[in-house]
Amino acid sequence: MKSSLAVGCIVLGLSHSFLLGAEPVNFSREILPLLSDRCFQCHGPDETHRATELRFDERDSALAEHSGGAVIVPGDAARSELFARITSSDPDSVMPPREAHRKPFTPREIERIRTWIDEGATWGKHWAFEPPNRPDLLENGVHPIDQLVDQRLREKGLQRSQKADRETLIRRVSFDLTGLPPTVAEIDAFLADQSPDAYERVVDRLLQSPRYGERMAMWWLDLARYSDTDGFQGDATRTNWPWRDWVIESFNTGMPFDQFTIEQFAGDLLPNASPNQILATCFHRNHMTNGEGGRDPEESRIDYVIDRVNTTGIVWLGLTLGCSQCHDHKFDPISQRDYYSLFAFFDSLDEDGKAGSAAKPYLKFRSPYAERDANQAAELEKQRANRLAETRVTVLQGFDGWLADLRSRTSSGFEPWTILHANAMRTVEGTVLEQHDDGTFVASGPNPRQDDYVIAGAASLPRVTGLRLEVFPHESHSKGRYSRGETGEFILTDLKLQVRRAGAPGLKDIAIVSAIADAELDAKARQYGKVQDTLDDDPRNGWTTDPEGEAVPHKAIYALAEPLVLGDDEELVVTLLHRSTVGDANLGRFRLAVTDQPGEAVRSLEPMPLERLAALPAEAAIDDELRKELEAQFLIDQPAWREALSEWEAADRQAKAMKSASGEMNVMVMAERAEPRTTYILQRGVWDQKGEEVSRGLPAAVLPVSLSSESSRLDLARWLVADENPLTARVIVNQFWQLLFGAGLVRTPDDFGLQGLPPAHPEVLDWLALEFRDSGWDVRHVLRAIVLSETYQQSSEVSPELLERDPSNEWLARGARYRLPSWMLRDAALHAAGLLEPNVGGPPVMPYQPEGVWEEMFMGRFKYEPSQGTAQHRRTVYAFWRRAAAPTFLFDNAQRRVCESVPRLTNTPLHALTLLNDVSLLEAAREIARQAIAEQQSAEQRLVAMSRAILGRPPRAEEQAILLAKLERTLAAYRNDPKQAEVFLEFGQPELQTAENPTELAAYLVIASLLFNLDEAMTHE
Amino acid sequence: MSDFDAALEGWTRLARRQFLGRVGVDALGAVALPSLLSRMASTAPATGDRPSPGLPELPHRPPRAKNVIFLTQSGGPSQIELYDDKPGLMEWAGKELPESVRQGQRLTTMTANQKQLVMPSRAKFGRYGKSGATVGEWLPHIAKVADELCFVKSMVTEEINHAPAMTKFLTGHQLAGRPSLGAWCSYGLGSENGNLPDYLVMISKMKRPSDQPLYDHYWGSGFLPSRYQGVKLRNANDPVLYLRDPEGLPREIRREMLDGVAELNRLHLDRMKDPEIETRIRQYEMAWRMQTSVPELADLSDEPEATFELYGPDSRRPGTYAANCILARRLVERGVRFVQLFHPDWDHHSRLGSWCVARCRDTDQASAALVLDLKQRGLLNDTLVVWGGEFGRGVAGQGEWDSPDGGRDHHPRCFTVWLAGGGVKSGLTYGATDDFSYNVAENPVHVRDLHATILHLLGINHEAFTYRSQGLDFRLTGVEQARVVHDILA
Repeated sequence: MKSSLAVGCIVLGLSHSFLLGAEPVNFSREILPLLSDRCFQCHGPDETHRATELRFDERDSALAEHSGGAVIVPGDAARSELFARITSSDPDSVMPPREAHRKPFTPREIERIRTWIDEGATWGKHWAFEPPNRPDLLENGVHPIDQLVDQRLREKGLQRSQKADRETLIRRVSFDLTGLPPTVAEIDAFLADQSPDAYERVVDRLLQSPRYGERMAMWWLDLARYSDTDGFQGDATRTNWPWRDWVIESFNTGMPFDQFTIEQFAGDLLPNASPNQILATCFHRNHMTNGEGGRDPEESRIDYVIDRVNTTGIVWLGLTLGCSQCHDHKFDPISQRDYYSLFAFFDSLDEDGKAGSAAKPYLKFRSPYAERDANQAAELEKQRANRLAETRVTVLQGFDGWLADLRSRTSSGFEPWTILHANAMRTVEGTVLEQHDDGTFVASGPNPRQDDYVIAGAASLPRVTGLRLEVFPHESHSKGRYSRGETGEFILTDLKLQVRRAGAPGLKDIAIVSAIADAELDAKARQYGKVQDTLDDDPRNGWTTDPEGEAVPHKAIYALAEPLVLGDDEELVVTLLHRSTVGDANLGRFRLAVTDQPGEAVRSLEPMPLERLAALPAEAAIDDELRKELEAQFLIDQPAWREALSEWEAADRQAKAMKSASGEMNVMVMAERAEPRTTYILQRGVWDQKGEEVSRGLPAAVLPVSLSSESSRLDLARWLVADENPLTARVIVNQFWQLLFGAGLVRTPDDFGLQGLPPAHPEVLDWLALEFRDSGWDVRHVLRAIVLSETYQQSSEVSPELLERDPSNEWLARGARYRLPSWMLRDAALHAAGLLEPNVGGPPVMPYQPEGVWEEMFMGRFKYEPSQGTAQHRRTVYAFWRRAAAPTFLFDNAQRRVCESVPRLTNTPLHALTLLNDVSLLEAAREIARQAIAEQQSAEQRLVAMSRAILGRPPRAEEQAILLAKLERTLAAYRNDPKQAEVFLEFGQPELQTAENPTELAAYLVIASLLFNLDEAMTHE
Repeated sequence: MSDFDAALEGWTRLARRQFLGRVGVDALGAVALPSLLSRMASTAPATGDRPSPGLPELPHRPPRAKNVIFLTQSGGPSQIELYDDKPGLMEWAGKELPESVRQGQRLTTMTANQKQLVMPSRAKFGRYGKSGATVGEWLPHIAKVADELCFVKSMVTEEINHAPAMTKFLTGHQLAGRPSLGAWCSYGLGSENGNLPDYLVMISKMKRPSDQPLYDHYWGSGFLPSRYQGVKLRNANDPVLYLRDPEGLPREIRREMLDGVAELNRLHLDRMKDPEIETRIRQYEMAWRMQTSVPELADLSDEPEATFELYGPDSRRPGTYAANCILARRLVERGVRFVQLFHPDWDHHSRLGSWCVARCRDTDQASAALVLDLKQRGLLNDTLVVWGGEFGRGVAGQGEWDSPDGGRDHHPRCFTVWLAGGGVKSGLTYGATDDFSYNVAENPVHVRDLHATILHLLGINHEAFTYRSQGLDFRLTGVEQARVVHDILA
């Protein structure tokens, strides 16, 4: 018999191992959670929502008489009102009442409550508030975790799975401890090492690797809601990244977790605090800051303090303190007063709620890593500058021929501008437009206050690079000036350029990058004057000229972002908007023209180089200045030079940014203000609704202590990591477990309170918590202990029977199998390709993401520029984090707006698209393909090499057959169309784009990408 | 003939011309046009392999609306210029707002130190339709469809700054971290189309850098699984991030590669028995289908000329609010549950006469067209359209009240939204403000009441629709009392 009880559990929908009918009822694990879930809402700790004086969170109240009757009669369920009410069939008296929208008790739960009362209704504390118990262990050489897990499994009639094979094991433990897969050499070494401690030595090697600190930091940064920007209005950049490096170093140097805690809470308050200890306190400044215009900074400051309290609750205590912000906690013994007593510890920082560059207090800090990165960036800039110079020489070989040709063609004069003749024109508000033979448009008829002129015409040029607008005074206008409006002035608020294809309904917007005019009114922001303001679609600004100025023709020149090539069936649509607030200033006479001259020619009002060339007498020499301009104009039309130029420009911008990051930075840290603030309970949590005054204090339900009147953040930190604190060690080891198994022993890592899920293996949790504390809060010690257990090393293969009995692997009868975090997928790909840049620390970098993400969100205010050279291949922990638009390639990551400790694991088509098309993964695939081709002869060998690099194992025969077939068909397709292969390879870093045999490389790239997209490649197995 | 009928007739005339022109068969002119039009409009039925099912207990009651189109006007449109006509304000022009009206209302720090001088509406008002709804002159198209709309003039919130107010307007809570309305709907009701996400978001393309970024938590899933978050349809080459295969990777090679992925994953599934692998195989296939279905959706070239005539000239430019309104209708046709548009830059602190007008011009015709279009296609019954922003504007002028430069500051105590279709009474104006459009005078509708009502129309009891996070059962409408506004239900 395979335990009929376990089967019964499934039928009843109960999954917790301790809910075993035959055992005596355990109050804190079985009954208290039920009372909490169904009753506390109205009969719990929250005073304001308590329906009657009856409460079930306190023994005395629950066992007392209420309304003349006993709610619970110990030993006699039948006489207990509680039992009568939960089993009542009368809708008016059954508990919980319908309107509470709580689930009714199940028959099984009712049975357990009956048994509990009949057994005497013994009371106790919630398990997590009791100190951890050291479980009974045998001295039999079996790992304590395995002893404890096996005991529970035996009760279930289950047993542990076999050990995972060695290739799986080294891959699993490498990902878990360093966030990276093993290299092929590391796998080979482990497979060859038959000594009994081979695995243990792998574990120790991994724990000593600098990659370990980076892996742990990624965990901590998510909890710390670390970001490189403020998060609200404007989303200003901050420079707190030296704190991120402090975290990495702390893990790598093995800083004990109690010290790690104390320095982050109160490093500034330690005697003779070092700069690094002050730097540590940035932890509690990583919250979002709101500098929105019009917002009261005090309201923001209160938000920040609240964020610190809630984060402390989730990370250290596993408590949802946030609930007590507005009212006493409904389920846990945390009152609103407790909440604001904790709040008081953070209330007197020398901060004023401001954001951006005014978010004091700051620490001036110079990163020890930044100079290294600045040098690296400078080196790349030099390389690309050389390449640009070489390209220039090659390309300029064609210049003289071009010039000679031009000279003969312009010998009879050159007119750069072609007048635009309208095929159609209309206005929105009724102005009548008419075009004269010289191309001038003349307005007549109604003269509305505002109007838009829309003019469509073909440009008979091979391409268009610029547009000219001329405005003319005329005697028929008011005061002989530019419009028929009262003042005679014109105000052009915006100009738009579009392309329309005959027969197609849509219009395509054409981007204009700059506008200049020969005259404009000197104007401040959002006043009418500057021609550049006609590009922003804002009617509150625009172009006009000085009303005192002479009434002469004026012109404005617009430069297109990219040369525009028009098809035969396409025409330009120019829209002139006159939508100013003052109005009555619509153009009376104007003319439009287009040009094909590139570069500076359309960014300047000077005669264009070709005009000047044409004006030269036939034999006259070309002076240096003109020659230089002609050269520039020639170059800008050469794709090879343009490409090399933009590559150098990117490296140059990066070098400058890195240089400025190597100076002194302002890092947001904590410091106390001279005069502490008085803290009040905030009624309903509203920032300016001050209630009773409170002083600093710590929740007695967790661990009672008495504080002196001088208490500070230091006391709070020491209390968190006090030996007697029942929560912190458990909560943190549960997080470690989550890092290694994908889910914690407590499946609600942020809630160890009454509403959280109890652990399936409470003994393991307690054993680990005590190991953690007694080892001197040694993080590596606990991680090592877990990964050395046989429980950890089990195979993750699952039988249908086990899957049905324990779908989420709570009982641990198999290894953990789950998709790796997205950041590990990127890092793993770079590592497998040998691209990963190993440096630790330094200014943030910009991994590839699709174009336009920041620009769209901020309407162009921020531009995302992918890092260049090796900076592109740094670990994801160094990726710039913009809070308003987190890195696009990180699906399912914590969003870092507020503290989050529950892992997200979803499986969506959007993730598939990311892994298929993210440039980082494609670049890694290209390098792996390149290496396989270079190092191996046959297709079979190459596929083995790629598979080992990506999956950590060679393909099985049937897999190899599939891969070979796909490879052959892909190769055939590219051989048929080799141009495609060349196009395909043009992405990413220019240094990595060369290919000896593009067809072959492209085909192998596809197969490498195929391997990266296998479920196995992205899974912790 | 009502304004609505007139507009409708204009539309049908255009559609008829277009339709007949395209088919080129005059005899068809005799066939009943509406049925033809609706047949023409119906797209291929949704054919994804497994639309997500939603929660088994939902809907709680027969729904009145199946889909929602939420036209989010970000920045706080002025109810005083657009809908809430207060002719009596002329007498108060330039006078200080009485304290009996203001009642200690918080101001943003932008106007806290300025005298609160009354600035009457900059726009003239008219009464429209059989219902006689009041609409300002800057919204002539919306005025024409007034009989289709239900104006709620008594909306209330507490927040006076954009980010907290918009966060509350869309997630029920002022701090980031809760699921948005759309995510709740996607989670609860699932999708009818296996080829597209259940919740899609579109943001108007603007040239001007906006002062209020649209944070992605506005359409985030909060503590719900991230698959329920809104998917942003971008204006870029990739309407969905990473949708487009790299250049030089032809479709047939991609197919070949995905076949390889599926074959190898199947072998692995046989070995590991983890059902997650099965899901992975399906999601990769869905990704492949999305690569076709999304561009098809976003490509408006199959729309008749009449569509663009109806939605206005802006609708020809991809990325505009008007073009996004057409897309919204196409999405609803394809069974997408929740479509949310954002139009930024309604934050007219100055120069109402040009700034606010500009945003009206961007949105007026297309918003009205969307309602007409849905109605014409028989989709309005099942589709709830909501138009509104995070708060309103104050009656006092910001800057000089009598200068063209004057604008209005934020105001949370009253603002106007309108709803249409999906079980809402048409031609109704609900709730009222005082003579200053400052406080709600009757039938206040809090943001959470609006949420409760929207859920109700979708067949969901907002009190019973919860999700457990951090040990608490959260609901969209939060812990404070929220009511379904039964008076506006048809």
